[in-house]
Amino acid sequence: MGNLPLANILRHKLRSVLSAVGIGIGICMLVTLSGLARGSLYEVADRWESVDAELIVYPRIWGDNVTTLSGVGLPDRRIVHLPEAHPDIVIDAVPAFLWRMELAGQDQLVVGVDSAAEAWKRLTGGRTLIRGRWCEQDVRADDGRTASQWLTETLLADEPDTTPPGESPRLPDWPETQPAGAPRHDAVLSMRHIQAQLRQRGGFELVIDARLADAGGYHVGQTVRAGNHDWRIVGVVPAGGLGRVFMPRRVAQFVFGSGDIRVSTLGFVKLRDGVEPGEAAARLTDATRQAVQVRQYRHMLEEKFGVMFRYVDMVNVIALVIAFLFIMVTLYTMVLQRTRDIAILKACGASNGFILRQVMGESLLLTAAGLVAGVGMSFLAAWGIETTRPLLTVTITWRWLVTAAGVAAVGAVASALYPAWRATRVDVAAALTLE
Amino acid sequence: MSENGYIIEGRDLVKAYGTGRAQVRVLRGLNLAVARGEFVSVMGPSGCGKSTLLHVLGLITPADSGVVALDGEPAPDGEGGRAALRRERIGFVFQRFNLLNVLSAIDNVAISLRLRGQKLDGNVRHLFEWMGVAHVMRRRPAEMSIGEQQRVAVVRALAHRPAIVLADEPTGNLDSENAEALLALLVNLNRQFAQTIVMITHSPAAAAHADRVVTMRDGRILHATS
Ligand SMILES: Nc1ncnc2c1ncn2[C@@H]1O[C@H](COP(=O)(O)OP(=O)(O)OP(=O)(O)O)[C@@H](O)[C@H]1O
Ligand SMILES: [Mg+2]
Repeated sequence: MGNLPLANILRHKLRSVLSAVGIGIGICMLVTLSGLARGSLYEVADRWESVDAELIVYPRIWGDNVTTLSGVGLPDRRIVHLPEAHPDIVIDAVPAFLWRMELAGQDQLVVGVDSAAEAWKRLTGGRTLIRGRWCEQDVRADDGRTASQWLTETLLADEPDTTPPGESPRLPDWPETQPAGAPRHDAVLSMRHIQAQLRQRGGFELVIDARLADAGGYHVGQTVRAGNHDWRIVGVVPAGGLGRVFMPRRVAQFVFGSGDIRVSTLGFVKLRDGVEPGEAAARLTDATRQAVQVRQYRHMLEEKFGVMFRYVDMVNVIALVIAFLFIMVTLYTMVLQRTRDIAILKACGASNGFILRQVMGESLLLTAAGLVAGVGMSFLAAWGIETTRPLLTVTITWRWLVTAAGVAAVGAVASALYPAWRATRVDVAAALTLE
Repeated sequence: MSENGYIIEGRDLVKAYGTGRAQVRVLRGLNLAVARGEFVSVMGPSGCGKSTLLHVLGLITPADSGVVALDGEPAPDGEGGRAALRRERIGFVFQRFNLLNVLSAIDNVAISLRLRGQKLDGNVRHLFEWMGVAHVMRRRPAEMSIGEQQRVAVVRALAHRPAIVLADEPTGNLDSENAEALLALLVNLNRQFAQTIVMITHSPAAAAHADRVVTMRDGRILHATS
């Protein structure tokens, strides 16, 4: 056979392995970092798109990008009246209160959603519980009311929300929540009383997704501390829904929304079949309410975190340039060491093209080995990352593998050019004469 | 074949290295013509320019002036055309380091054939046997004696059936026994297959195997003996 590039590579095993590992690390960084950055981001986008709704509505003043917002946002009535106000296009509108809590060592999106009409199923994309039950199903109070019902009836009973659409609702007072005989100014006692009520009515209950359960080692029945409260985990849903943590919306509003249970963060709007979402969004947008397609969320994320992609890509470019400089130096020293071999080939009449192909062949073989090593390392790294940090997502796509292969091929050729050119310039007579 | 019948011919060859005071004038109007089927030895003191002559005749090094003609045809100036002639017509054997270290004997021959657009064939196996090196075919140079390496080098020089074999002190690194064996093979090659050989040597004993011995001095061929 007489494959000179292969023979040269096999002859200098350590050098070849090191070169391939150098390339491999570059390739692995490209695939893994891109996969991690894009994977973690697109996993969030996928989760939003899994919601069984076409539009989100939120306060217009928030602008075009709502990727990092949570807490108090759009008044509930600006959401729940939509099916009534636009029966021709809207089937359902589900308010959601979004918040962030640290669980399993990471910030988690907490979704406050109503158990009524199983609104939560819309936000979990139809996923049903795989373990346990939904929140507020085990009420220990005599009147049998859930925390949500109790909060609604206690705080909103005497005070129907009459704020005209577009105006901020007035914060309610809640003196009547004081137990009889308690001193009215004792706010701490009052708060304790409310918390006790919520607790025995299933208010401080969480449903988490399977991935978070794995990551945190959480199980149904366990009590966790987060956001200054103790929560009981009562159910587990498959991962892929909007949030990793779900809780009763009224409780979220009350606890995280400064006590105002008339305002959610945003609403998800389910449209009738055949309604064009773009047109519907335009119709539901007014002076204070913005409606956008759920699909937009992906672009919002890209817009917000696109700069991160650029940093990651820059780091990758630097890693690859270093890897290929390494290959170039390796090839160059190989050419310098082998002037006699090259001279013999040229004495035999080898054309410049033949010499060039030998050096290129060596570069391509080293790079191919590096590519294989790099892809292998990438899958290993992805596995390692997802095992040690289960909430991170490393998405290794064909697109990025092909990109890596393309980059490797271009890098192999580019880094071989100068050494190959030097090889064609070898002075045959001098190389054969001088010892 | 050309009219005068010379398979390779150097006419008025001039070659100098360096410039000015440091200039070494190696070939100074040298003439040498070799007929088809001839075995010519070139002798001369060390540093007189024997290797330079071989490189010029073998179209590795261009002469400053003068003509190298193959079959009466002046060789072209461009490296492309010269490399093509080297591939087709010439086989080299050098003093040592003839073989690529990373390749086995057979692969050394194979790559030389491949760059000539040819493949290994039965002829190559015969050559290995004929040169008495069939047993080292799969070995790399480091696993062969120098004598074996030189004989493999001859196999490679012959494998593509070149018109001319140019050998630069092929026995220079061999003990007398191995040298004799190699020379006997070259003589055989010349007698049996009418292979044209130009061999450079220091050794009068080696030179004596040739049909004709020429001596170089002061950049010219001094005199010829038969
Ligand atoms: N590339 C070069 N650059 C400069 N000088 C050179 C070069 N090659 C050869 N020379 C000089 O040219 C002269 C002839 O060298 P050459 O190698 O042809 O001699 P030689 O007869 O083959 O010697 P030897 O018998 O020792 O092999 C020497 O003086 C040598 O130093
Ligand atoms: Mg010499």
